[in-house]
Parts: sequence; C-alpha cells; structure tokens
Amino acid sequence: MNRTFRSFAVVTVALVVFGPLGLIIYQSFLSEAFFSPTARPSLGAYQYVLADSGFHSAFGTSLLVSFGMTVIAVPLGSLLAFLLVRTDLPWKKFLEPWLLVPIFLSPVVLAFGYVVAVGPVGFFSLWAKSLLGTIPWRLYSLYGLIVIAGLTHVPHSFLYVSSALRSLDPSVEEAARVAGAGPWRIAATVSLPLVLPSILFSSALIFLLGFELFGLPLVLGDPAGLLVLTTYLYKLTNLLGVPSYHLMAVVALSIVALTFPLVYAQRRMLRTAGRFAVIGGKGQAFRPLPLGAFRWPAVGIVLLWLLVTVLLPLIGVALRSVVSQWGEGINLAEVLTLDHFRELQNHPNLIRGIINTLLLGGIGGALSVGFYAIIGLAAHRWQSRWVSFLDYLVMLPRALPGLIVGLAFLWVFLFFKPIAPLRTTLFSLWIAYTVVWLAYGLRLISASLLQVKPELEEAARVIGAGQGKVYGDVTLPLIRFGLIGSWLLMFMMFVREYSTGVYLLGPGTEVIGSLIVSLWGTGALDLISALSVIEVVSVGLILFIALRLGVRLDA
Amino acid sequence: MNSLRLGTLVFCVLMASVSPGYTAETNPNAAAAQKEGKLIIYSSTDSASVEPILQDFKALYPFLQVEYNDLNTTEIYNRFTAESASGSGTADFMWSSAMDLQIQLASKGNALTYASPENSSLPKWAIWQNQAYGTTFEPVSIAYNKRLLPADAVPQSHADLVKLLKAKPDVYKEKIATFDPEKSGVGFLMMTQDAKVFPQFWDLAKGLGATGAKVYTSTGAMLEKVGSGEHTLAYNIIGSYVLLRQKKDASLGYVLPKDYTLVFSRIAFISKSARNPNAAKLFLDYLLSKRGQTVMSEKSLVYSIRSDVPGPITAAGLNKDLGKAVKPIEVNTDILAGLEQTKRLEFMKQWKEALKR
Repeated sequence: MNRTFRSFAVVTVALVVFGPLGLIIYQSFLSEAFFSPTARPSLGAYQYVLADSGFHSAFGTSLLVSFGMTVIAVPLGSLLAFLLVRTDLPWKKFLEPWLLVPIFLSPVVLAFGYVVAVGPVGFFSLWAKSLLGTIPWRLYSLYGLIVIAGLTHVPHSFLYVSSALRSLDPSVEEAARVAGAGPWRIAATVSLPLVLPSILFSSALIFLLGFELFGLPLVLGDPAGLLVLTTYLYKLTNLLGVPSYHLMAVVALSIVALTFPLVYAQRRMLRTAGRFAVIGGKGQAFRPLPLGAFRWPAVGIVLLWLLVTVLLPLIGVALRSVVSQWGEGINLAEVLTLDHFRELQNHPNLIRGIINTLLLGGIGGALSVGFYAIIGLAAHRWQSRWVSFLDYLVMLPRALPGLIVGLAFLWVFLFFKPIAPLRTTLFSLWIAYTVVWLAYGLRLISASLLQVKPELEEAARVIGAGQGKVYGDVTLPLIRFGLIGSWLLMFMMFVREYSTGVYLLGPGTEVIGSLIVSLWGTGALDLISALSVIEVVSVGLILFIALRLGVRLDA
Repeated sequence: MNSLRLGTLVFCVLMASVSPGYTAETNPNAAAAQKEGKLIIYSSTDSASVEPILQDFKALYPFLQVEYNDLNTTEIYNRFTAESASGSGTADFMWSSAMDLQIQLASKGNALTYASPENSSLPKWAIWQNQAYGTTFEPVSIAYNKRLLPADAVPQSHADLVKLLKAKPDVYKEKIATFDPEKSGVGFLMMTQDAKVFPQFWDLAKGLGATGAKVYTSTGAMLEKVGSGEHTLAYNIIGSYVLLRQKKDASLGYVLPKDYTLVFSRIAFISKSARNPNAAKLFLDYLLSKRGQTVMSEKSLVYSIRSDVPGPITAAGLNKDLGKAVKPIEVNTDILAGLEQTKRLEFMKQWKEALKR
C-alpha cells in the first residue's frame, strides 16, 4: 500500500508540474507560438534573450532585489515569530492578524498605498516637506523597492518560522532559561537554530518570490525605467508587436534554472534532519518566556514594523477610498466622500467576485492543503532519490512568473482535451492555484513533519496500527500547526492571486484580483481603494476568527 | 458638467422618440440570432463604461444572453489566438483598442466578412474589407492638472509642448508622464503616428528625456498621478478617459492639440469561427447604429464616430472644432507596418536614445 501511495504522489506531482512547464520548455525551442502552423524548431529565442543587454541588467536587478529582500525579510520575520510565539509579548492576539495583511493585499494596491502615503506628493511626504523643507526619501528608486519588498515579505517568513516554533518542545528553552540565558540569547542560540529548516525554507521561497515580484516594481520602478525580470517579460509581450511567447518562455526558464542551486543548497544544509525532531512524546505545558525589561522595547520593534509596512500603505489606501482628489494643493477635509463605496455597489459582478474569492481561498485552500498533506506524507521518512526529485519538482511551478504561468495554464486546459471542460469553471482556477503554490503550502507541512520524532509513529506501529491509522491518529494531529499555517497561507495567497488564473477567468468566475486589475486599467484607483478596504476588513475578520480557532486547538 | 447633464436629459427625451425606429424586428439577422440565443464578446472597454451600451442592447434584444469578457488588449489577443488554434470555441465578437493587433488578426483571415447596413453612415477609412470596423472616434489629447497649471501655461499644440520643454526643463522636471511605447501597444501606435505627422517628434522625445519624463503602461495610472499633482501634464492621453475621470476629479483637464489631433478608434470584428455569428452581426449593427452611438457618446462618454450624432463628444463636434487638424488613424493594413520587426526595434532604440534611458 505504501508503495502505490508513494508512486501515486510522485507521478501526480510530476504530471501537474510538467504539464505547464513542459509546454513552456517546448515553446522556448520554437520560432513562434507552438500552436501556429508555421512554427519551426529554433534556438533563436535563446540567442535573442541571452544576448540582450536589457535581459542582463534586468536579471542583475532582480538578483539584487531578491537578495536584499531576503536579507531584510527573513531575520525580521524570524524575530517577530519568536516574539509572538515564544514570549510573553503584550498584545499578541491583537498584533497577529495585522501582521498578515501584506500577504493577502494585492501588491499593486500595496504599492499604490505607498504612493499615496510617501510618494512625491503623498500626504506623509507633504507633511515632511512642510516640516523639513524637503522630502528625505525617494520612493521610486531601487533602494525604495528593495526596502518595501523586504518589509512586506516579513509576514511570509513569519508564517513559516512561527508554525515551526509553535510545535517546539518548550523544555529546551526552559532548560536554557534555568541555566540563566536571557530571551535574546535563547532566541539566537536555542529556539531559532532548532527551527532552521523552516528558516531556510522560507529564505529559499522568499528569494524565489523576489524574482516573481511584479506589482511592486511595476508601480514603484517602472515609470523611471527600472526593469526587473518580470517587467522585462512584460515588455516582451509588446516589444515585437505581437506577444513573443518563445522569448517569454526563455526568460521564464532562466528563473526556473535558478531553483536548482537554491534547492541544492537547502538540501545540503538540511542533510541531518534528525537534529530537528523536537516534537517528542512527553507533553509539556507551554509557558511563554518572560521578556522582562525587554517587554516594551520588543513591542516597540513590532509596532514600528507594523507602522511602516502595514499602516502606512493601508492608511494611504483607506484615505484614497474616501476622497475624490488628493495630492499637492488639496485640503483633504474638503474632498471627503463615501461615493466610491456607493459606486462600488453598482459595479457588475462585485458580489460574485467576493464570494468566489472567499470560496476559492477558504474551501479551495483547505482542499489544496489536503492534497499537499498527501504529498508530504508520501515523502515522509522515505529514504529515496525520488524524494530529492520531489524537492526540486515542487519548486518549479512558482519559478514561472505570473505573466507566463497564466498562459501556460490556458494552453494546458485548451490543448489537453480530457480536462478541457473544466476550463470555464472555478475548478480550473483551483487546480492552477494549487499547482503554483505547491512548494509554499507543502513546505509548511514537511517542515512540521521533520519535527516529529520517529518513536511516536513506531509506538503506534508496534501496537498494531496500519500505516493509514498511524498517519490519521498520530502524525497528522502532531503537525496540526503546520496544516493550519499552510491553510492560512493558501487562503491568503489565493485571495490575492490573479495572474495565474487570468486566462481561466470568465463571467461567473470573477475574483477580486481580476476586478482590481480591470479597474486598474481604467485608473479607477478610488474604486480599487474602496474595494481593498472592504477586502482588508472582511479577510481580516476571517483571519482573526481563524487565529482564534487555531489558538483554541493549542489548549 | 451642466451641459452634460442637460445632454443626458435631452438624450432621454430623444430615446423615447428614436427607439421605435430601430427594433429587433427591423434587423434581418434578429430571427437567426434569437435561435443562437447567446453572444460572447471579448472587449477592452471596461465593464463599467460599457454598461449603458449593453443595457440598451439587451433592452432591444431581450432574448440574447450576452457574455461580456472585460480583458486587456494583450489578453484578448492571447486568448483568441490560442482558443482558435485549439478549436475549442472563442469569442463571437472582438472589440479592442489595440488597433494593430485587431487588424493583424483580421488580415490573417480570422474575421467574418459582413457589410453592415450602417456602412453608409461611417467614414470610408473606418471600414476595412467589410471585416474590421472602427467604432469610435477618440481624440488623443494632452491631459493636465488644472489646479497646478494655469490655463495660459497649458501647451495648445505639439509644437507648444516642444517649446515648453525646451524653455523650462527645470519646472517640468519629472512632472510629465507619457506612454511607454516598449510596453504599451497603444502608446507605440500613437507615437509612430506622431513621428509620421509631426516633423519635430524627435525633438519632443528629447525634450521628454531632458525633463526626466516618466513612462507608464496604462492611462489610468497616469491620470491618477496627474490628478494628485505628482505629474502636471500627461502626453498622448485618450480624451474619452479624461472625460470619464472628470466626473470625479475636477482638477483634470485636457487639450486637443491645435496643430494636429490624432484620432484613435476601437476596432471591432466578428470572428470567422463565431458560434453565434448572427448575434454578433446584431451587436455590430447596434454598436454602429445611431442609437448605439448616441448611447456611447452620451452615457459612456466615448466619442461617437458617426457624423449624424450631435453633441460635443462626437466626430461631428470634433470636426467642427478642429477642422483639418483632425488626423484619424485609418483602419487598414498600413498600421501593420508598425509590427514589422526591424523597423519596430529601430523605433524603440531611437526612442530610448532620445529619452536617455
């Protein structure tokens, strides 16, 4: 049974990954669209892209952005996770939902929020100007882009590290505390090193997301000519007049190639997985570490990060949603209005869009986690080359940038006839989302699995439980934080996702993301802002409730 | 603003009298369309703006279920080509502002030949082979911020703009926005037309470069930033978009350049492989009809292409105001010259050099 189960997992993942990816590889070796009757085998696309200086500089910029963003996001995210999960930080329950806002808010909206707040004529900038005579920062710069990308990805890292920390056996920290270590020392030498797999996973995933960034660089970098790989890709859709799929495919594959060293390095660092197995058999009551004198400075750090990363853009967006005009020479008190919210009511398909989005995020997200859990369990404690194959495999779909992965899924659903009827249903969207976020959902689960000590499962087996019963009664309950974390992440990713499904959407299957993009095209930023406010409030409420429920499982 | 409201009022009165003349029974395609029962449209006209048009169309033909897909121009092209190639059915009616892509699709045999009964009321240049139809008459303008730019400082022509950039590069530093021709097909089309009509175009490009102009991929983003004052002026903005935005943001204004005003048209064609060709014909006829064009002009605030539709937001109005300065981009295969790769890349290169990017 185990054998068939495992082969099933490997074959399924290989199929769903190589479907879209295979098409793109094939496309890269052709002279034009693969479905065009005049397409011929050709290396021309590689010759063009690899020789183009625009590609080189875009690749360099992307590398820099990814690196800078990872360096900012991972340490900060880990620190926040430690503070919120393991210590007696005040106001924890209140802070956590806010922390997650940057994950589900569309990056275009986030970037626009920054423009309204700290852009050249943003309200905060104008205020600073009136005080200092000049604006001491420059939003539209490489530096601005890296800082904002880094800060807004802190929650991603937070989610991975915190779910691992929640499962950590408190006795190890307790031992360090009894031996006289302060909270910072415990974090740096005990807690965080023990969740190293999650920190490394999140670093690799965030690094990859750096190459994926599109909304932020489009709004913050593009007007000044700052090109990253995705905006370079965007250029390729128009550069030659008609979209040049073969060139786009080559650019996408250059990012795919990057995943190999990334996964390799990560695997090398995690060779001895046994070191991290800390979910033991003996249950222990969890007592938060006292921060002592650091209590309030620690709250200060968290609040400062929240202010810059969440409040600033959110205030920008919220402000835009209640004014008819803004910027230089405007007295905001005179232009206040609720018209944008009223106007939103007349907008066709709004309600359906919201319902679809929540369905896809809530139920779809849960189904995806179910699928990821099956894959995770199949690879669990399996000493085989197939596991390393899986490790590489799952990273590949997200390495394809949104602009091209959307096309790839359209092609798959059009040209692979057995699944063609699904194309116009929400189901196609769900499949595409599940495949693209495979690595991200799976990592949270497999990181938790790494923490489970083998003796618990062995004990169950000794008393005669079959493999299914071991998983159902022992393994899965032990990794519940990983599963919940994974669902939370998928919920938020699915709520915000748009480009993956852009070609699968139609009347009846609209989502909030598509509404935002269609409004963006006409410049209805007032309506986008109003819609985003509604989104933040409703998703925030759901998260708040979910976190409460998650916490109850803790008891 | 008031004249607009008045216009709407007049329009409502008119509608009551016009409508009996154009009904479902009078169109010979109506019976066949009723059997089809459905119409699939891919369009780049956003759903909020098209709503009045669709509503009126549905009122005429209540038996048709209209599936309106609001997509961007690249998405329309990508979807249509892939769906056609896979043989799994695609749009019946294609309506997009990417004039070049639409003509390219039509010229490759994707469009159904159909002589609309409205043909005689359209300018000759707006119809290509009875396949591709120009449906609108939209002037390309210079948008500006009324709050920050006094009326007498606003350039009234392309030549004025060149002079302004030369005279005051510091005042306009990073204050000007325009399309990025590398990323926007519409932007590219306008600029190549500019380069054709306007001998000083490359001086203009250099002037934009010298002031550190910002380049955008969408009109919406530009207008938002002109409204906020981050930019004071945006070059090559479709007038209809400014009109729509003016309803909400009174600080936006636009100028139709006196030396020449490019006129741009959203192109429609009926797909050759349409499953509902008769419904598509019905929609094309309606869109080009006096009734449809009147709704377009007065409710959707998109310039009508028919000379018999009165009012400010119409071809008639523009021709009266600007006379010979009106330069429509004609609906024919000349546009495809812009898709020729070496020339296209050469233009982009020259643009980047002028802009010093």
